[in-house]
Amino acid sequence: MAARPATPASPKNHKVRAAQPGQPMYGCEHLQRLFNQDQATTNTSIQHYKAILRSIFDMTPLIPQTAKAIDGQIVTSLTPTYLCLQCPSTLTEEDRTKHGSKKSHRFYVDSRSGSLYCQMCDDLVWDPTFEELRLKKLGTGTFSNRKRKHEELFETSDPVRDNPTYISSNTTAASCKANGLRGIYNAGATCYQNVVLQSFLHNPILRNYYLSDGHSSGNCEMPHCLSCAMDDMFQDFYALENTNGYTAANILSGFWISEKKAFENLVTTKEQDAHEFFQFLAEELHERNGDGQKPESGSEHSCNCIIHQTFYGKLQSATTCQNCGGVTNQVQSFLDLSLPLENLGQKKGKKGSSRQTGSLTLQECLDEEYIKQDKCEYRCNKCSSMQQARRQTSIKRLPNVLSIQLKRFEYKQGRNERAAKIDTPVQFPLQLNMLPYTDRARTPDAKENYELARSCTYDLLSVVVHVGEIDTGHYVSYCRVGDQWFAFNDHKVELAQKSDVLNSRAYLLFYIVRSLS
Amino acid sequence: MSSETGETGKAGIIVAAGDASPLDKLSHAVVDDLIYNTLHDLLLKVHRDEKIARANTAAIKVEKLAMNAIDGATTDPKPDVEIETDAAIYKDGKVTLKGNPLKSTKEILCPRCHLPRLLHPTDGKGSRKPDPGVIYCKKHPYIEKPGYDIYGQTWVAPGPGRGKKKKDQKLDPNDPSSPAPGAEGSAKDRPPNVLSFPSATCSKCKRCILVTRLNNHMGSCIGNSGRNASRAAAQKISNGSNGGSQNNDNTPPGSQKGTPLPGSRAASPRKRDGDEFDEDAEESDQNNPKKKKAKPNALTKKVILKAKSPATPGNLKKDKPKGSSSLNVEQKVDDDAKDSTVQVAPKKPTPNPKAVSPAKKIKLSKPPLPSPAGKKGKRDRDMESESSGTLSSPPR
Repeated sequence: MAARPATPASPKNHKVRAAQPGQPMYGCEHLQRLFNQDQATTNTSIQHYKAILRSIFDMTPLIPQTAKAIDGQIVTSLTPTYLCLQCPSTLTEEDRTKHGSKKSHRFYVDSRSGSLYCQMCDDLVWDPTFEELRLKKLGTGTFSNRKRKHEELFETSDPVRDNPTYISSNTTAASCKANGLRGIYNAGATCYQNVVLQSFLHNPILRNYYLSDGHSSGNCEMPHCLSCAMDDMFQDFYALENTNGYTAANILSGFWISEKKAFENLVTTKEQDAHEFFQFLAEELHERNGDGQKPESGSEHSCNCIIHQTFYGKLQSATTCQNCGGVTNQVQSFLDLSLPLENLGQKKGKKGSSRQTGSLTLQECLDEEYIKQDKCEYRCNKCSSMQQARRQTSIKRLPNVLSIQLKRFEYKQGRNERAAKIDTPVQFPLQLNMLPYTDRARTPDAKENYELARSCTYDLLSVVVHVGEIDTGHYVSYCRVGDQWFAFNDHKVELAQKSDVLNSRAYLLFYIVRSLS
Repeated sequence: MSSETGETGKAGIIVAAGDASPLDKLSHAVVDDLIYNTLHDLLLKVHRDEKIARANTAAIKVEKLAMNAIDGATTDPKPDVEIETDAAIYKDGKVTLKGNPLKSTKEILCPRCHLPRLLHPTDGKGSRKPDPGVIYCKKHPYIEKPGYDIYGQTWVAPGPGRGKKKKDQKLDPNDPSSPAPGAEGSAKDRPPNVLSFPSATCSKCKRCILVTRLNNHMGSCIGNSGRNASRAAAQKISNGSNGGSQNNDNTPPGSQKGTPLPGSRAASPRKRDGDEFDEDAEESDQNNPKKKKAKPNALTKKVILKAKSPATPGNLKKDKPKGSSSLNVEQKVDDDAKDSTVQVAPKKPTPNPKAVSPAKKIKLSKPPLPSPAGKKGKRDRDMESESSGTLSSPPR
């Protein structure tokens, strides 16, 4: 029974293990025996595992967390239970051994993580076949190899690209030291650029785009192209061993040479707003990589350039006329969500005891903008007159990378009308569920749909923090690489704790959709 | 499961008092269970990373032995070799585990370079001395040490004494000995992990500028603030060579398009920048006659480049009449010649092919890589000038 033919019925269990050097075939000897028994056992094992994963991740946690003890007592627990891979029982940790010796079932699945426990090893095992399924389920919610849209964009029908020997003979692997963790020197009040560049550099979508020759500076004719400068920067960060800071000279000169009317005020030697620079960079890169059309904020314009695929989402605002009840829908694309803090902070301050202690959460700010309705004046077509209307904005399409700006400035009316900074702490989560703010949240089955919820789950990717006053100060940023956070302060890169990140007074937040990470 | 029976949950850390009310006991048990779950998740993650790394190490080792046994030459995916180590078996081109890799394998090999990973940082928190006889993978654990970055590097403080000295050296871009004085001057008496700020080449005028002044330089070389320079030059032309008009603060209002108000510089709390600027002006007034030429040079440069590249139409009209004045043309030629002796000539003998190839390493190199020579050259220079400050060794 050593033959392990690639039967079409179960293609998953015969993944190209031999072509993956540096990795064992199976998680442990015992799994090897299970898989090598016969094809039927392999198939049922994998099918069972898939069913278990589905029950863990797609349904209410109540089911996998409920175990039936040997004595018939039904117990629901907060802590993990174990689902037998070879039969439909769910067991507590204590009963697992008994079940094993009675039925000689040796493999169990942890009810909270879906990881596999081997009783003979008396250890968790990380089998390549099972892990692949688990990670797929955790990420995209399906087992299929269906690709997301943006991945298809990178797929080209290049036969060269698919040939591993061609690749290995024509390239040298980057050093293990080149990991993209470098500071960027401050070229004189350019920290607002550095923080945005760092957040781009550690954005996996942009990184993959540039490192897979998405925009090759060798083939670009455009003089002083900012996208070429980005390309060069990605190469320097991810291919060189250099650990010294990076000098973003080409970005800077591209920035100076750029002739964008909308950002004329940005191009100075003074301190500037990082958010404006983010918008500038996004538009500039869109023009270099996209369809060449000017992105008009407010319109429903969308193109398939890397910037649009990464950052752009769509908002829908439904305006309901209070007189005739007619609804007008308007769809806009957005690069980022700007959340005002001012009103909310005051509202909360009134409720609470004092203004100073009032801290906000990101979810409260989002609630205010994308769940609550607001009143407005509106010219109704049906009534053909100005009417009171209710307007509700929600997110129609979520972006792959969600960028959020917390408007930490306010304009004080008075003698000297000038901007002031709002220092209200805003708590933001490492994991953000955006489902309530989408238009799909209003559909009745949304609450029970775990798969939908998972596709709207975002992980914090980077945080831009401004310290100091409104007109002068300093920007620092935090970026996550894998599970480790790093603090970037111009040329200096340091390790950061999650608590450092979460306690920071964020100005810009970048979240990446879970299914991509 | 224990929430309804005991005083505590599975972790047994949060324990309710014996005489606590049932609700108290329940809530203690729930919190305790949650702590258990948190710990469980953390442990699971570490366990997964570690066990997969060790299992892969076992596989790499046995594959290496197998490759040695085959002697490399075969391309057969299932070579007829059987190798067994303490941790893994190689058979029919497949690797299977033997026992638990957490017990059988002690070190971790990098899956890419197959060298052992250094498991402890070399400095700072939790550091250990690495074995000098072992060649480790270049990916080291990150260093956590106050005042140092993750690679254990630190920077020369741009303090008043030091900063001034460096700047004085820097200020004379026409002196052929000056391109990387920061590195040359004080590198020897610094430990290798203390870095100084590098210089970079301005993409317009190809001059070497200390990175901290690059933005200001580009402002005057390329950008809008170039109008300040042009205004200064215009005034100079009209006033003769009276250098006093170079001060920025007496900018005539109304001549600006989008730049912030002139007063904002004076009011700006960033004193350093302001000071630097003033110093520049003073120095050029008092003891550096070359500097005077350099300013109008920036102007003529701009005109030339603008005339060349249609992509930057901008304020061409405004500058042209001034640029065509015979004085400036003369200086332009003059300075260009100097520039080329400073910048280009010394770099040419050291065309660093290495510096180009690693930059493209990750990429798929298509055989005839059509990269314009000018472009590559530019990057080369950039990189060189960057590393000249980095490596703390004289570049030439």
